[in-house]
Amino acid sequence: MRRVSGVFDTSYIQDMTIFRTKYYSAGMVILILFFLILPVFGSEFWLTFINSTAVTVIALQGLNILTGYCGQISIGHTAFMAVGAYSSTILAAQFELPFWLCLPCGGLGAGLAGILFGLPSLRVKGYYLALTTIAAQYLIIYMIKTPFPEITGGAIALNVPEVNLGSFVLSTETHFYYFILIMLAVMTFFAKSLMRSHFGRAFVAIRDNDIASEAMGINLYKGKLLAFFIGCFYAGIAGSIWADYVRVISPDDFTLTSSIWQIGMLIIGGLGSTLGPFFGAIFIGALRETCVICGPWVTSIIPQLGAQISASLVEMTFGIAVILFLVFEPRGIGHRWEILKESYRLWPFSY
Amino acid sequence: MDTRGGKGMITFVQLLVIGISVGFIYGLIAVGFVLIYKSSQIFNFAQGEMVMFGAFLMWSFLVPLGITPALAIILVLAIVGLAGYGLERFPLRPMIGQPILATIMITMGIGVFLRGLALLLWSSNIGIKFPAIITEKTVSIFNVPISNVTIGIFSFGLILVILLSLFFNYSRTGLHMRAAAESHQLAQSMGIRVTQAIAQSWAIAAIVATVGGFLLGYVRGIDFGLTEIGLIAVAAALVGGLESFKGAIFGGLIIGVAQTFTGGYVGYGLKEVIPFIIMVFVLIFKPYGLFGLVKIERV
Repeated sequence: MRRVSGVFDTSYIQDMTIFRTKYYSAGMVILILFFLILPVFGSEFWLTFINSTAVTVIALQGLNILTGYCGQISIGHTAFMAVGAYSSTILAAQFELPFWLCLPCGGLGAGLAGILFGLPSLRVKGYYLALTTIAAQYLIIYMIKTPFPEITGGAIALNVPEVNLGSFVLSTETHFYYFILIMLAVMTFFAKSLMRSHFGRAFVAIRDNDIASEAMGINLYKGKLLAFFIGCFYAGIAGSIWADYVRVISPDDFTLTSSIWQIGMLIIGGLGSTLGPFFGAIFIGALRETCVICGPWVTSIIPQLGAQISASLVEMTFGIAVILFLVFEPRGIGHRWEILKESYRLWPFSY
Repeated sequence: MDTRGGKGMITFVQLLVIGISVGFIYGLIAVGFVLIYKSSQIFNFAQGEMVMFGAFLMWSFLVPLGITPALAIILVLAIVGLAGYGLERFPLRPMIGQPILATIMITMGIGVFLRGLALLLWSSNIGIKFPAIITEKTVSIFNVPISNVTIGIFSFGLILVILLSLFFNYSRTGLHMRAAAESHQLAQSMGIRVTQAIAQSWAIAAIVATVGGFLLGYVRGIDFGLTEIGLIAVAAALVGGLESFKGAIFGGLIIGVAQTFTGGYVGYGLKEVIPFIIMVFVLIFKPYGLFGLVKIERV
């Protein structure tokens, strides 16, 4: 990693520091202050947008660890979100466990499901593994829908009990805003730290070439399964938070389509960087909102196009965006951001 | 007691025949999938959307435009063939040699785009069906009542599969495509244009998908649920082994029969996921399928 002119790393601790210069720290403090006081002047619309985007970012961080860093393609990520959402909800509703216990349990359940469906990764990879995760998507949703409808609510919606920390009840959009933002910060910090650790470097080695990395002494089984566990743990936490936030969940919220959307967001944001999920989720979220707003406007001009204009616009723009990014900027917005930062650092000398 | 046993047998045979005829359609779509995989090592996750889109396109040529069936079928197949041919130029050619995730996502992007386009054009057409081409009646073969539509689909699928295999075994274009599938470099050095072969395989895959969509839409009506067939066809191709046409047909038959039996004896929910259960078992125990090539990787 390049530093600004005049800043030299003289130890590994310095090399791995997240906020190396005081400008970084100052920028971070300003950003935190901005988000802390945002609910004072931000409207309900923006808070809802930020909340749903932030939950997506938490899930995407997990997918990034699994797919971006460790190279194990998962096209069933929302199914693991469903595992998290349902297990935490069932624990809260049926066993009346406190919220602070349900949340990690949801993550744990999803992580264990991830290990189960990650087992084939020890034998197959690439396309075959992607197919396993697609199968996981269908099988998990089937398990929620059919065999135990009295526990999981079957194909119809399941109500989520309200969240209370002690006597304090999380109810308004603003409460959830702070809660989700704190969770996002913690999970992002954990993801960043994981990637600076020996596990993170092992993941990258497995992604680049698993046979070579095994020859270099990395335990492949442990590494791949750990990546599946952590990635799905993130999904579970995100799903659990999502369930608490929307208060009603049904199997139809967690479809293969939304899993594809998550992978698309990750590609657009940039695989293999902690900032990528943020860029991707914000870009696609903004695209979706724009299409929803533009839909009625297009219908007023061309009325023949039917009632589902917004939905079809959303899908078409998403498809085009993914294709264009893959062809012209496969490393995503995150890479562009790095280039921008680099040229800013070197400005005005573009050597 | 005796009659009940006889009826059970008849249901069994009926389900078997329906399963085989549906399985043939799955196999046909899986052939399109295998074709693309063989020629360019790309998994076409947009196959299901191509099936759905082709069925809708065929419907709008037949019903709202009111073109005679023979002409409409030729027109639609020409259009989707050209579209498939064009898909190779953009966005698939830049994907050669890209990581697997990129190729997966590019086909998924195409799929999402096609679904959005279909939603834009046909979202108000709910519960549509193809006009009846043959009048449905039940014929009895060995005391088993079987609909003549089922027989028609079965024979049509059989003819198509025979035609496709003749095409790949004897025609010049088909042999070029098989050569390109074997090794891009070798084929190129023998004077075969690999990009053209890949484009042709996409065109044929699009045509096969449209025919599959037509047949399937004829049986169960046209809706957006037809996209599900794409992943079932993937499962079929996987069971048969990804490099083999006969494996794809065989896998399609297995999946089709398994689906109708679970649908007939167990329930609708399991019928939806049985292809994926089979797929997971195949992946764990025999990842390269029944007729596929085992790859050995060295560093």
